[in-house]
Amino acid sequence: MKLRSQQNTVIVALMTSCLFVQNSFALISEETSGIEIMEEVQKRHQQFPYIYEEQSMVMEDRHGKRDTRKARRYSRMEEDGSVKFLLLFDYPKEVKGVALLANRDANGNTNKYIYLPALGEQLIESTGEGSNDNFLGTDFSVENLTGEILIEHAYVRRNDKEIKGIKYFVIDVYSANGLMSEKQVLRRHFIQQDNLYITLTHHFDKQGRVSRIQSHHDLKPVDGDMWRANMILMVDKRERHQSLIKISKRIFSHDYVPAEVFTAKWLYENYPYIESPDNSDVEEDSVVSNETTEENAE
Amino acid sequence: MIVKMCLLGYKHRVPVTLLLLLVTLFSLFGMQRLQVDTGIDSLIPADDPARQVYQRVMGEFGTDNKTIIYIKDKNLWTPEKLTRIEQLHLAVEKIEGVTRVDSLFSLHTIHGDDGKIVSRPVLRSAPKTEEDALSAKESALANPLYLGNYFSNDGEVTAMIVSVADVEDKNDFSRTIYQALEDQIEVHRSEFNRLTQVGPPRINAELKQSLYEDFLLLGPLSALILVLSILIFMRSWLSAMVPLVTSLITIIWTFGLLGWLGIPLNILSAMIPSLIIVIGSTEDTHLMAAFLRGLDEDVEGDSRQHAVKYMAKHIGLPLVLTVLTTAMGFASNLFSNIELIQHFSIAATFAMLANGFITVLVLPLMLSLFAPDKNISLVKDKNTKSVPNRIMKLFRYSQDHFPLSTLLVTAVLCIFFVMQAAKLYVTNDPLSYFPSDRPLIQDVKQIHEDLAGVKIFFISLESKQAKAFQDPKNIKKLSAIQEFLDSQGAYDRTISLADHLKFMNREFRNTSVEGSIPETRQLVAQYLMFFHRSDLDSYVSHDYSRANIVVRHNITDSHTLNQYIEELESVLEQIVGPDMRSYIVGENLMVNHAAESLMVEQVKALVLLMTLIFLIMSAMFTSFKGGFISLVPAIIPITLMFGIMGFLDIPLNPGTAMVAVIAIGIAIDGTIHLLARYNELCRRTSDYVEAVNTAVQEEATPLIVSSIALAFGFGILIFSNFTIVAQFGALAAATMLFSIFANLLITPIIMSRIRLIGLYQILAMSVDREVLDGSPLLQNMTNYQRRKAILISELHEFEKGELLVEQDTIGRDMYLILSGEVEVIRKDDGESRSLAVLKPGQIFGEIGYIRETERTADVLALENVSALRFDYERMQKDLKFFPNIVAKLNFNISYILGKRLADMVGSSKSK
Repeated sequence: MKLRSQQNTVIVALMTSCLFVQNSFALISEETSGIEIMEEVQKRHQQFPYIYEEQSMVMEDRHGKRDTRKARRYSRMEEDGSVKFLLLFDYPKEVKGVALLANRDANGNTNKYIYLPALGEQLIESTGEGSNDNFLGTDFSVENLTGEILIEHAYVRRNDKEIKGIKYFVIDVYSANGLMSEKQVLRRHFIQQDNLYITLTHHFDKQGRVSRIQSHHDLKPVDGDMWRANMILMVDKRERHQSLIKISKRIFSHDYVPAEVFTAKWLYENYPYIESPDNSDVEEDSVVSNETTEENAE
Repeated sequence: MIVKMCLLGYKHRVPVTLLLLLVTLFSLFGMQRLQVDTGIDSLIPADDPARQVYQRVMGEFGTDNKTIIYIKDKNLWTPEKLTRIEQLHLAVEKIEGVTRVDSLFSLHTIHGDDGKIVSRPVLRSAPKTEEDALSAKESALANPLYLGNYFSNDGEVTAMIVSVADVEDKNDFSRTIYQALEDQIEVHRSEFNRLTQVGPPRINAELKQSLYEDFLLLGPLSALILVLSILIFMRSWLSAMVPLVTSLITIIWTFGLLGWLGIPLNILSAMIPSLIIVIGSTEDTHLMAAFLRGLDEDVEGDSRQHAVKYMAKHIGLPLVLTVLTTAMGFASNLFSNIELIQHFSIAATFAMLANGFITVLVLPLMLSLFAPDKNISLVKDKNTKSVPNRIMKLFRYSQDHFPLSTLLVTAVLCIFFVMQAAKLYVTNDPLSYFPSDRPLIQDVKQIHEDLAGVKIFFISLESKQAKAFQDPKNIKKLSAIQEFLDSQGAYDRTISLADHLKFMNREFRNTSVEGSIPETRQLVAQYLMFFHRSDLDSYVSHDYSRANIVVRHNITDSHTLNQYIEELESVLEQIVGPDMRSYIVGENLMVNHAAESLMVEQVKALVLLMTLIFLIMSAMFTSFKGGFISLVPAIIPITLMFGIMGFLDIPLNPGTAMVAVIAIGIAIDGTIHLLARYNELCRRTSDYVEAVNTAVQEEATPLIVSSIALAFGFGILIFSNFTIVAQFGALAAATMLFSIFANLLITPIIMSRIRLIGLYQILAMSVDREVLDGSPLLQNMTNYQRRKAILISELHEFEKGELLVEQDTIGRDMYLILSGEVEVIRKDDGESRSLAVLKPGQIFGEIGYIRETERTADVLALENVSALRFDYERMQKDLKFFPNIVAKLNFNISYILGKRLADMVGSSKSK
C-alpha cells in the first residue's frame, strides 16, 4: 500500500515536471525579453510571503580554513509589497543574538539595522553606499539573498547557453540608471530553462572580469513550479575565499514569521545586553547537518 | 713534477691545446645554463631556525611581497587627480601577474555617526565634485588603520599596494612586472608631484640590471687596467697578453662549472671576472719575470726551453703554494651558511685553482710560440727611476738606517688601527647594497618620511587555546607590545588586531577619543563579524589562537635594529606570559641575524686560514718561525684594513667581511715568493743580510707590479653599482698596497734575523745516499736531519786542480765532500807530502773549524769536486735556529776528532 502511494507520488511528480518544463518553454520564446524572463522567475519562485529558515554559514578563507556560523532567517512580505528580513545568529555563542534587520519598502528603499547584544540595547542603523556590500564578514550581500529589485535594474537577454547538458537563459544585469551604451554589466544570471531558477550568477568587477560566482545547489521543488535551493555558494575569485549557506530547515508559515520578530523590543527581550565579561571556555564547532527539512505550514 | 707539467704546454702544444679547447667548449655549454639569483633568500642561512617560523607565519598571515606605488600631490583630493589614480588602479589591475591592488578605490571604512554606522568604500569610483573628493579625504584620514599605510597624515600622499603572484622568479618575472608597472606609472607620472614604485619586483629588477651592468663594465675595465699596468711596469706585450688569455679561459671554465652545478650568479659574482683577471695575473707576472730572468742566463741550445725550465724550477713550487693559499682564502667561506657568500666562495675557489692549472699549461704554450729569445723587458732594467726601484730605495733606506724604529712605528700604527677596528659594526641590509644617491633608495626614504618604512617584521603570538585572541586580556597584550614598540621610537608604524578592535569600538560607540579594547569576549567577537576575513588575514589566524603585529620601519643598520630587537625580546616574554609563545620574525631580521653570524664566521674563517697558512708555512720552512714570518705581511695589511674600516665608518657586510681572508690569501703569495728566493740565496752565502737584499731586489719588481696591478684591479670595483662590491674593491685595493709595505719593508727586517730552510729544498735535494750514510759527520742522523744539516751549509763547486784549503792560512771552514776526490798535501821545508786522498763523505778542515788556527795542510781537488762548507760563525748563528741539528753536527765533529786523537795515540804507541 505504502509502495503504491510512493509510486503514485513519483508519477505525479514526473508528470508535473513534464508539464512544468513544457510550461516554461511555452512561456518563454526567443522574443521574450530579459525583464520578462526575470519577472517570470520572480513570479514563479517568490510565491510564499512568509519564510523561516535555519541556516549554517560556512566561510572558507584562502587557506581553506573554515568558520561556521548558524543563523535563523525570517522574511516576510507584507501586502503593501514591503519586505521585512531578519538574520539572527545563534552560533558561535559569542555572537548569539547578533541580528541584521532589513526593511524594504514597496519602492525598493531598504533600511538596515544591526543589533549587537554585547554593545547594548540599541539598533544601529547600518548605511552603505552600495547594496552590493558584503554583510557581516560573509561573501554575500543582502541583495544576493533577498533577490534583486527589478525596477532598479535593466536586463538584457543574451544567447541561451547549454552547460553540462543543462540549458540556460542568459541575462545580463545593468543598473537601471544611465545610458545603456555607457553602462557596465553588473552580473550575469544563468537561468535554468527547465525550472526558471537562477542557479548561477557571475558578478563582474569594474574591469568587466568575473569577481564572484554565486551558485545554487540542491534544488528542490517546493510547491508546484516553485523551487528552492538548499545550498548557496559564493566564491570570491579575487580574495580567493568562499561562503556557503546551507539551509537545514525551511518553513513557509505565517506562524513562524510573526511581525514582532522584526522589532527591537523582541530582540532586546530575547537577546538582552551582555554586560559582564564572559570568558568561559569556547564551545566546539558543531557539525553542519546535510539534511534539510521543509515544511509548508501555509 | 711541476717542471714536467710546465714543460707539457711547451713540448706538447697540440694535445694541450686540444684539452683546453675541449674543456672550454664543455664549459661554454654549461654557461648557457647559468641563472641569476638576486633574491633575499640567499642572504639568509639555510639552517636558521627562524626561517621555518618565518615561513609558517608568512603562510598564515600573508607575505610582505608587495609593491607600493607612491603618489604624492598637493592637490591629491580633487576629481581630476583622483580620476587619474583610478585609471592607474584599473590599469595596474589588468597587468598579468598582479593578483590584487589595494588603494583608496578598494578600501572600506566604517564610520560611526549619530547612532548610525556607515560602512562604505573610501571611494567607489572617482568623484565628480570637489565636495565628494574632500568627503572621501575626510573619511580616509579618519581611519587610523590606513594612516601611514595608505595615506600620509597631511593627505598629500596615498599609496597603492600591489600584490603579485607569489611565484618563483623565472623568465625574468620580477623585471616583467616591474616594467609593466613602470609603463603604467609613466603614463601618469607628469600628472603628480611624485609618482613612483618600490617593492620586490623593482629591487630585484634593479639588482639584476646592476649585476649585468657590472659584468659588462668591471671585467673589461679590469682587463684594461691590468694590461696597462703590466705594460708600464714590465714593458712586455706578451706579459700583458698571457694573463688575459689565462683569465678568459678561467672565466669560461668557472661560469661553465656554475652552470653545470646549477649555482646561480649573485651580486658578489659580478666581481669574479675582475678577481680572476687581477689575482690570476699575479702568478703570470711572477712566472714571466722568472722566465725573463731565465733568458738572461747564457745557455747553449733552446734558450726559451731553458728559460721555461728555469721558470718552473724557481717558481713552480711557490706557484703551487700561492695558488693554494689564494684558493684557501676564498675557500675559507665554503662552509658559510649564507648562500650568497657560499656560492661566491665556490666560484672563486674553483676559479683560483683553475687559473693556476690553466696558467701552468697555457703560459709555456704561449711562451713556446711568442716568447723572445732574449730578455728585453724591465725585469733586468736597472733603471733606478722606475717605480719599484724608487719604492725600494725608500724602503732600503729605512731598513738600513732605522730597522728597529720602522718596526716600532709599524707596531704603534697597528695598535692604533686595532683600536679603530674596535668600532667595527655589521650591517646586511639588501637596500644598503645600493649607493644612497640611487633613485630607488631616495624613493624608499621618501616613502618612509611620508608613510611608513618599506621594511617589515612581525611579532607573532601563539596560544594553545582556541579563540585566545577573542579574549580582551590577550588583545591587551598586543596593545602593550605596541606601546613598548612606540616607546622605543625606532619604528614608523605598528598595526595589530588590537588597532582594528579599538577603531571599531570607537566608531560603534561614536566617540572621537581614541578607542579602547572591547571589554568582553562577546563584543570582540561581534565586532569581528564586521571584518571580512581578508581584512584580518595579516593580523590573526582563522581560529584566533595566533595573532600578529606588523611593524614597519626604515632601519637600515642591522646592528641598530638588532639592538632594538634585543630590547624587545627582553620584555616580550614578560608581556605575553607563560601561557603563550612569541616569535619575532621577518626576512630582514633573518638577514640581520645572518649579518651577526657573518662577523663570527669571518673571524673563524680568518683564524682557520691563518692557522692553516701558519702550519703550511711552518712545515715548508721547517720552522714555526717561518710560519710566523709568513703571517706578518698578512697580519699587518688586514690590521690596517680593519682599522680603516673602523676609522671611516665602513661596516662589515657580505662584501667587506671577505676582504680579510681573500687579502691574506693573496698577500701571502708575495711573501712566499720572497721567502723562497731568500732561501735559495741563503744556500750560497752566509751573509743573510745580503741574501735578503738580493731576494728583495729580485722579487721587488714582480711583487710591486703585481700588488699595484691587484690594487688597480680591485680598485676598479669601486665603479660597481653595488656598494658592497665597491667597498670590497676599495678595501682590497688598499690592502694590496699595504701588503707591499709589509712584504718589502717589514718582512725583510725580520727575515734578515732569521734563517729558514725550505722543506721542498730538503725534499728536492739530490745527494748520493751512500755518501751520506758513510759520512762520519752525519752519523746517527736521520735522512731528514742529514738533508737539513746539508742545507744549513753552503754548497761549493771546485774545479780540478783548485786549492780548497791553503796551508798556514787561517780559516774556520770545514768541508764535507759530496763528489770527487781531494788530496791532503803537507808542505814542510819545501817538500810536499801527500797525507791522504779523501773521498765523498769524508771531511777536512775540522781543526780550523773547532779552533782558530793555521791550516796544517793544503787540500787540492784531484777532479771536479762538490763540497759542503760549514762555516763556524754561521753555524754558531744557526745554533739558535736549528739547535738540534747543529748540536748533532758538533757532537759528530767531536767524535771524529776524538777518533783521530785515539788513532794518533794508538799509532804513536805502536811506533
